[in-house]
Order: sequence, then structure tokens, then C-alpha cells
Amino acid sequence: MSCKSNGVSCETPRRHAALAVLSVMLVIFVALSVFSFIGARGQVTPDTVSYSSYDADSGKRVFQAYNCMGCHTLVGNGAYLGPDLTKEYANVGPAWLAAFLPSAGSWPTATAVGMQLKNPDQLADTKIADIEAYFKKFPGAKTRVDRRGGHASFMPNLPFRKGEIGQLIAYLKYVSEMNTEGWPPQIKVEQSAIQTTALHVAAAPASTAAAQPLPAKAADRAARGAELVKDLGCTACHSTGSDRVVGPGWGGLYGSTVDLTDGRKVKADDAYLVESIRQPNAKIVAAYSPDVMPAYDNTQLSDSDIEAIVTYLHSLGTVK
Amino acid sequence: MTQIKYPTQRLSLRFFMLMLVLFLLQVGYGLVLSIQHVDPTLLAGVLNFNVVRAEHLNLAVMWIVCGFIGAILFVGPLLSGRDWKMSPLIKLLFFALIAVVIWNAFTLPLAERGIAGWWAGQPWLQQGLEYLEPGRIAGLAVLVGFAIFALVVLRTFPPVRDWNEIHWGLGIGACALMVVWMFGLFYVGRLDLQEYFRWFVVHYWVEGVWEVIHISLVGYLLVLMFKADVKSVGFAVFWGVTLVWLSGLIGNAHHYFWIGTPEFWQFWGSLFSALEPLPLVFCFWHIYLDAHTNRRPLDNAPAFYFVLGSVVLEQIGAGILGFSMTFALTNVWSHGTWVTPSHGHLALFGTFGMLGIAFAYYAVPIMRGVPNYDQRLGRLGFWLVLSSMLGLAFSFAMGGTVQIFVYRVLGQDWFGGEVAPAMGLFKLLLPLFGMIFAIGVGVIAYDLFTLGSRVKSPLTDLTRYLEQPLHEAPRWSRPLTGFEAGLWLMTMWIFGAIITLGLLSFNLARVRVGGDPTLPYLLAAVGYPGLFVTTLAFVSRFLASLEERASVRGVVPIDTSMPAAELV
Repeated sequence: MSCKSNGVSCETPRRHAALAVLSVMLVIFVALSVFSFIGARGQVTPDTVSYSSYDADSGKRVFQAYNCMGCHTLVGNGAYLGPDLTKEYANVGPAWLAAFLPSAGSWPTATAVGMQLKNPDQLADTKIADIEAYFKKFPGAKTRVDRRGGHASFMPNLPFRKGEIGQLIAYLKYVSEMNTEGWPPQIKVEQSAIQTTALHVAAAPASTAAAQPLPAKAADRAARGAELVKDLGCTACHSTGSDRVVGPGWGGLYGSTVDLTDGRKVKADDAYLVESIRQPNAKIVAAYSPDVMPAYDNTQLSDSDIEAIVTYLHSLGTVK
Repeated sequence: MTQIKYPTQRLSLRFFMLMLVLFLLQVGYGLVLSIQHVDPTLLAGVLNFNVVRAEHLNLAVMWIVCGFIGAILFVGPLLSGRDWKMSPLIKLLFFALIAVVIWNAFTLPLAERGIAGWWAGQPWLQQGLEYLEPGRIAGLAVLVGFAIFALVVLRTFPPVRDWNEIHWGLGIGACALMVVWMFGLFYVGRLDLQEYFRWFVVHYWVEGVWEVIHISLVGYLLVLMFKADVKSVGFAVFWGVTLVWLSGLIGNAHHYFWIGTPEFWQFWGSLFSALEPLPLVFCFWHIYLDAHTNRRPLDNAPAFYFVLGSVVLEQIGAGILGFSMTFALTNVWSHGTWVTPSHGHLALFGTFGMLGIAFAYYAVPIMRGVPNYDQRLGRLGFWLVLSSMLGLAFSFAMGGTVQIFVYRVLGQDWFGGEVAPAMGLFKLLLPLFGMIFAIGVGVIAYDLFTLGSRVKSPLTDLTRYLEQPLHEAPRWSRPLTGFEAGLWLMTMWIFGAIITLGLLSFNLARVRVGGDPTLPYLLAAVGYPGLFVTTLAFVSRFLASLEERASVRGVVPIDTSMPAAELV
């Protein structure tokens, strides 16, 4: 580097050449970048994807607001505590997501997913009302319901506000429609190579509860109510003690006086409890938000089912 | 140098101390994360994983930048031949940095309640993007901070015509810190475009800016410590920086393989980022040459330990592990798994973190007036953090290999399923190595906090050197030749090749269709431990050779009144 001709170090032209090459690379990089985002490439954009009335862009804002990327990866970027969400929508579909997200601390049961099939947003989007057809289209939902329905998950319950779940579903739908050049890699392994799975797959929990007649005795009714709340996934949000999970706890609720958000006080009697299941938004308990709990009409829960649940709640203790 | 030449060099002291505090905090959050990986219910609902991780990443950036600022504040006057101008602004910068850290500690947990502070289409409180978690308020405050810093550097440096390569490196680095940061300051609706710009900040900061500052600072530290020739260091700095940019500019494409950008990035990314190790090999080689330009004993061992650690971990973390996952055919497997934090931890802490600590060890004794300080704690701290960081990288890499097979090849379920239990052993190793790392950081921080106020050990290193009788160096400490250093480097790269082949082997039908993990597991189990053990052995060998210098026959004893090396 110390060879000199005409007093100029031969290092100088080399350095100029290096900078010239660098400029060429800059031009290449800019050209590739421009080409990556032009419309002709046909990559899906968030403004073209919606889930019912929810748009994907609002969903992206929700995704960022809860820093979902701090636990999950999306297109492979993010943290590795939870699973990758790139193809989550395509895998489990909107009804499973709608059943899971409000009470993420617990995995939804088949009944809870079935309940979401009647959700008008879901119906408008997938046009599927039958659980078998739904599971066929979104096989991931069936696997999860079969293997983990009703069990605790490791995801914390998040205080989603009105509309945020629909927006998140819209965003995940957009992401799952993106062309990510074949990532995550397609599973090609022969099923015979996986010995472990077969052992773990449990039979689907019976979802035949709704068909049974109501037992006459109160104790039997309470037992049936306990079965129903487990099957419906109610306990994902409500504790049987007095602590808050997503919704208020049930312990000591029956007969107590409840403070409402509008300042009124009501007694938690049979009528109040039935109304809170049929129309959860009618009376909102102080410090809780509306539109979190799904409404259960009499096609989903018969009057006798509701009676069984109320009897069960009564059995959890009363306030004298 | 044994004492500072310009009073404003002392401004760096507070930044070094702040760096250590932030580092301790960051390691604390890291420990929580590692335990949460084992038991995800720990602190759930109180301090969720994503909030802890946001703090862990944010503080990592903060303390590394803090170390850079400290180092530049210390060398700036030497490079300029005058005191810092506008020193009140530097003091303001210090308090602004603390304010931003405290602000982030309050705003990042808002993610648990889904509050981003949307206003005018922008998230003002926190934005939930990896590495760029703070919202606009903190982002703009940091931007102003960088602007102040760039201004102070440019105002203090001599006129541009008098700049040498180190001035250029630090001048460009200080300005580019600010410019690149701006790409993270706007909301983008398209996920592919958002990720495109997010990597502008993350990749170009690390590969385009921090690397430039790193090369310049390492070069100048060698000038200060070993009286290395400024011309030779300048040559290394220019070509180091140029190679970084030549490979790293388009090399950013390795982040654009799977985010929804076109397939052609796989070609450009695989090609150019495979060249990214070149500047690191170059830098590695130069530290070997420059540290050997004189054969005087090491008068500040911990400072050199950490410079060497920085360059070596850069070589294996950024260079070798980065290389192994930079090809589309290997990246398709490593992407989004624990294999990547193995590279990330070694590269980020190793390269940039260790440099900040090296500068602290160089500058703090001088500023406290105790050049002849007790160096034993510093050495101990170095070995603790080096070995446990390699242990962390090992746990991540092996856990990641299992994760790839169980999750991506077998397609097994996540929690409650097979993936987490399969990684179980390596998940358990993480808090274990994390604990050792935390102890190491504690030792380093205690040492630097109290350096000069502790009673000096009766037999300090300097006297130990001078009093030791002359003898032949034992085999392990004989002078390291260029040939031998080359062999070490080659061994590391051979293990790197094994690791790369291990990732590549996931593409084989035998693995991918037949479900037989023998080959990738075997290659990983040879490659990663081999690489990390070789690294430990090489660092030990290099340092032994340097430590032995004073007592080897024929070497001139130390000259304690070494004058400050200057460039102007």
C-alpha cells in the first residue's frame, strides 16, 4: 500500500473504485426494493382484506398495541415463547380464534367453538354453520379442540376491548393470505414417522350435553350445570372462587348485591343470572367491559340448561 | 497513557457508569425471560413475557449506545486535539438518556393492556415492534439525542480536510446513528413493507453503523494500548468499513426471504450476506497484527481481554453463526427458531457490548487516577461472561435444532404438545448459564464502580510482571504466531461449516420425509460445542501468550511513562 507513482498513493484509486462499486450496489438495492412493492407483483395488502366488518389495518394496530410480537413470531420475526402465527388463520379459522382470544388463558372446547359458528361475523365470512364442515376446512381447530379443549393455556388473558378480536382476526386473515415464498416450510414427513402423536390424541369430549333431559333433583341439576359450564368453556373466564379471571368470579355470587357500571345495585337472583347469560350486555358489573361475553340464546342453551347452570351457581355458595 | 489530557474526557465516566447500571438491569430482565421459558406462568398477568422481552431488547440497545457514547467521549478530544465543545449538551444528553429509560419502563408495560397511544395514526406510547418497542414520544426523544450527539461530535472534530480514517468512521457513525433511526419512526400498514423498514433500522444499525463505530473504536483503542501505527490502523478501518458496506448493504436481503417480498431476494441475500464475514475476518486478523506490533507486556489486561472478546465473538457470533443461517436453504429452517438468538446474543453482546466494557476498563482507571489497579476481578468477570455467553449460545442453538425438527419437520404442536417438552433440557440450561452470566456482570460492575476506592492488592499485575524472573514461556503461553492464529481461525470455520451442513441437512428427504433426525442432530452436536470450545481455547491461548510477554527472555520491560498516542 506504500507504492507511489507521481506522488499519489496507489491506495487512492483503489479506494475510489471501492466507493464506485458501493454506489452500484446501492442502485441495485433500491431497484430491487422498488420492484418488491409495486402493485404488479400481486402481493396481498391489508386494505383488500377484511373479516366481516373488520379491516386488517385496524387489526394490525391491535396486534402492535398488545405487542403480540413480544411472544409470537409473525412471518418468523418476533419472540419464540408462543407459536408462529403466520398461517394461524388458515389453520384454525375465525370461530376458533373468536372462542379462544377473549379467554386466552384456557383452550376452547368444541361447544365453545360451535357457539362461535353462530356468530354473525363468522357466518358472514366463512358461510359455515356446521362444526364438522368447519373442522374439515380448518383442521387445526379440530386438533386443538380434541387435544386441549377445556385445559389451561400458557397465554395470559388479555383485556380486549369491543371489536378488537374481530380486528385481530381480520389481520391474521390478511397475514395468512400473504405469499411468504413457501415459509413456514411445508410439512412433508410421513405420518408413520411420528410415533408420539397417536398416544396423545384423546377422544373428543362429548358435546351431547344439550340433548339430555333436566334431572329433577337440585343436586343432579347442579352436577349437570357444572358439566355444562365446563363443556361450554365458561370457566375459561369465570373462576369458581371470588377472584377475577376475565369475568367476575362465581363464588358467593348467588344472592349477593352486585354493583353495576351505571351505578345501580342489583341482587344476583335467578332472573339476574339468566339475563346475564342470555343478554350479557344488559347489566354490566362495575369495572368490567361490555361485549366481552358471547350471548347465549335458546337455540344454544335451552331454558332447562340455563336453570341447571343457575342451580350450579347457587351451589357455589350464597351470601347470607 | 496514564492520565487524561483534556478535562472534558471525564464526561465519559458517567456514561460508563450508566452503561453498567443499564447492563445489570438488562441481565435481570433476561434472567426472568429464561425462567419464563421454563415456566410460562411465572409473573403471568403481572409482568408478561412480552413486556420483559421489550425491556430486555430496549435496554440492550440503550446500554450499548451508552457505551459507544462513553467511548467516543473519551477518545474525541484526543482525536481533535482539544476539549469537547458544548459540554452542557453532553450533560443534558446523559439525563435525557436516563429519562428515556425511565419513560420506557412505564410505557412498555402498557402492552399488557393493549394501549399503544394511537394519535394521528401513530403509536405514541409503545408500538410493539421487535427491537423498536418504544413509541413515538421516546423515539423522537432519542432522535433529538442522536442529533445532539452528532452535532457535538462534528463541532468538536477538526476540519474535515484533517480527518483520518478514524475521524471518518466515528463522524459517519455518529450521524448515521440518527439517520437510520428515522426509518423506525412511522407506522406502516402492510406487514411486508413494515418488516422491510424495520430491518432497515435493525440491520443497518448493526451492520452499517455500529460496525463502523466498532471498527474505528477497536482500531483507535489498539493505537492507544499498543502504540499501533495510525497509518496501519487507518488502512484497516477504511477497508474494514468498506467491506462491511459492500457485503452488508445488499446483505440486508437475508431478512427479506420470507416476509412477503419477492423470491429474488433469496438470491441476492444468500450471495452477499455470505460475504459478510469477510470484514470480520479482516478485523480479526488486524487485531492479531496490531496487538503484536510491539512486544511490551499488557499493562491493562481486562481492557485487552474485552477487546479480544469483542473481536472473537464477532467472528463466531456474527461471522460464523451468521454465515450458517444466511442462505435461503438453511435460513428456511433456522428462521423463527431458537437457532437465531444463539447468533443474536453472541453477535450483539459479544461485538458491541464487550467493546463498551473494554473502553470502560481502559478509561475508568485513567480517569480515577489508578492506572496500576488490581486487575484480578476484571479478568474473572471476563471469563465468567465469556464462558456463560457461549453456554447460552449453546443452549439456544441446540434447543433450536430440536425445535426445528419437532416443530417444522414433524409439524408437532406447540404448548401442551411436543415442542416445549422436547426442548426441555436446553430450556433448563438457559437460566443456569444466565445465572453465571449475571454473576459475571455483577463482578464487572462492582469492579468498575469501586475501582480506585478499594485498597490496592500488595502485588499488582505490574509489579508481578517486573518481579517475575525471566524464564522460557511454557508451551501454552509461547508467542502466538500468525500461522497458529490462522489455524485456530480455520478450525472455527470448519466447525462453522459443520453447523451450516447441519442446518442444510434438514432439506434431505431422509430427514424431512423419513423423519430421521440423526444427521442434523449429530452435526449440531459436533458443530456448536466444537465451535464454542475452540473459541474458549483460542481466547485462552491468545491471552496467555500476551500475558507471558513480560517474563519472556529478551523482551524489554514495561515503560510505565508511555505518552498518550495522538492522531492529530
